[in-house]
Amino acid sequence: MAKKPIVEIDCIEVWRQISNYLDNEVDPDLRAVMASHFKDCAHCSAILDGTRNVVRLVGDGRSFEIPAGVSRRLYAKLDDHLATRRPKKRNS
Amino acid sequence: MATARVQPEVEADLIERVRCGEHEAFYELVRPHERGIYMAALSILNNDADAEEVVQEAILKAFKAIGKFRGEAKFSTWIFQITINEARMKLRKDRRHLYDSLDESRRGEDEGDYIPRDFADWREIPSEALESTRLREALKKALDSLAPKYRQVLVLRDIEHLNIAETAKLMGITEATVKTRLLRARLMMRDALAPGFDGAWRKGREYEKVRPF
Repeated sequence: MAKKPIVEIDCIEVWRQISNYLDNEVDPDLRAVMASHFKDCAHCSAILDGTRNVVRLVGDGRSFEIPAGVSRRLYAKLDDHLATRRPKKRNS
Repeated sequence: MATARVQPEVEADLIERVRCGEHEAFYELVRPHERGIYMAALSILNNDADAEEVVQEAILKAFKAIGKFRGEAKFSTWIFQITINEARMKLRKDRRHLYDSLDESRRGEDEGDYIPRDFADWREIPSEALESTRLREALKKALDSLAPKYRQVLVLRDIEHLNIAETAKLMGITEATVKTRLLRARLMMRDALAPGFDGAWRKGREYEKVRPF
């Protein structure tokens, strides 16, 4: 049985691809090589875990809010604008 | 609260209702996107008052132009584009683009690899920690610390969950550039947040720092 060639990847190349890895944007071969690297490299595991965590946090709807008042003033502005217009009926 | 995504058919119905004169339907169209377009404007202008002004202008423009919206693109993409265009016009009007890296045609992407600064053993920050103002403030501060082009791509991709193609189109860059900027943005966010994590967010944990080679 033929031996599978051992493919190594250095940390710098892992960091270059780590964002794509998280988004499933790397091809299967590269994915396998990186997965193997993460098993053996504590530094890169730490980068992966931290990046994944940060992506999850910023993507959570609670993380960033529209400031109080901005929403209210936005709709007030729209109200003002609509008040100056008469609804038009389109002929279908 | 996470922005609720409206089904396309519901949106299409709302758009038609607005066109037929039921203007109140426009509020329902805009509401799911108000945070997103505000974040997008803020990522370009980095100023709350300017972002608010731009969002108001964008919404009014969108309302006036709703008859021209043909549905080839998603409504969200359309309203994001209007907002981003307004924000860029404001930058140009204020001549701030001279001091910003927004005009990417003058600058290459070739800034070399981003080398992470911190290799501390990572401890998961649970989403529940977002209930704490402190974490939300830390996230905002980290986001504000990014250069505009990295902040913008993070807002569109990771905060507003637009896909790579949508992000590329809105920013006027290639998909490859979206990916390289997103990489940098994410790694910088991680570094900006790392010093606070161990010990700050979980009790009884010694902060472990490992220096890179």
